[in-house]
Amino acid sequence: MAEHVILFAGPMCAGKTTAIRSLSEIETISTEAANTDRETADKDTTTVALDYGEITIGDEDKVRLYGLPGQRRFDFMWRILMERAVGLVLLVNNDAADPLGQLAEFLEEFAELHERGGIVVGITRADIAEGPSLGDYAQTIAKSTSGAIIPVFTVDARDGNHMQTCLLSLIANIESRAALAYQQEQAA
Amino acid sequence: MSDKLHKNPVVVEHARAALETFRSHSKSLGYATILTTDGFEVASIAGDAQQTRRVASMASSMQALGDAVARDLKMGTCDYIIIAAPSGYVIQLRVPGYDLVIAAHFDSAETLGKALSVARLAANDMAQVSVAAAAA
Repeated sequence: MAEHVILFAGPMCAGKTTAIRSLSEIETISTEAANTDRETADKDTTTVALDYGEITIGDEDKVRLYGLPGQRRFDFMWRILMERAVGLVLLVNNDAADPLGQLAEFLEEFAELHERGGIVVGITRADIAEGPSLGDYAQTIAKSTSGAIIPVFTVDARDGNHMQTCLLSLIANIESRAALAYQQEQAA
Repeated sequence: MSDKLHKNPVVVEHARAALETFRSHSKSLGYATILTTDGFEVASIAGDAQQTRRVASMASSMQALGDAVARDLKMGTCDYIIIAAPSGYVIQLRVPGYDLVIAAHFDSAETLGKALSVARLAANDMAQVSVAAAAA
């Protein structure tokens, strides 16, 4: 039975907690505190440590889903959880002030995960805000990662099917890269 | 009432005074921080600015993890957390009635019971901040 640890990262209000709740087969663990920074994000609560959920893919592959706090002051949690992770679902809300800048910033921060596993980008709130196009996001990804192949989707974090598509593409990417690396190792 | 507590001058001033009183109660107190539950530093004594900001963020995460464990085990809310290490310990506890936490580092010369007792006094002292003034 394979186990994957997948992180969900991105700025405040990108939908990380909601995405994990949409995907998880177990009751999620959340660590929300009253949000005292309404200037940055107008919502009642914010994640300050992690979210946790689980989902089974196929017959027996268990995927552990960890949501990270979006604010940089919690970047020690990013470091702690990144050590065990093999992949990243990076969510960016299209109605943010600078979604392309935030995408580039998070890609740089989590570049290590692309090296050893994979990253997929989900653009949320694309239906309610006139923001950059998918092409703009793809260009930012290409510029930020020297042409790495990182899929980008528009997603509704509340929709389990959307999030499963995103997650499955990430798992497929991670497994195909691992298989390719194994073949190359055997051939060497 | 939790909006921008860390920027409210009444709350910040009261926090500073509460921490000074706290320091007078224990010679073993290394540094102490009062923070919002979402990780903003309100006031601190000792420690450098970068350290106290970082401790505020970490204490916020620890408090939320403590709450998550207590909730999962159906124990109610997490009142306080103790981190013990060879050269001292950190105690953190909620300020009653506010979205605030006090986190304090003591060296090993202090007994745990005394440290917890003076930390509780400091939390209760902080809780005396005027709700009306703090909301202003």
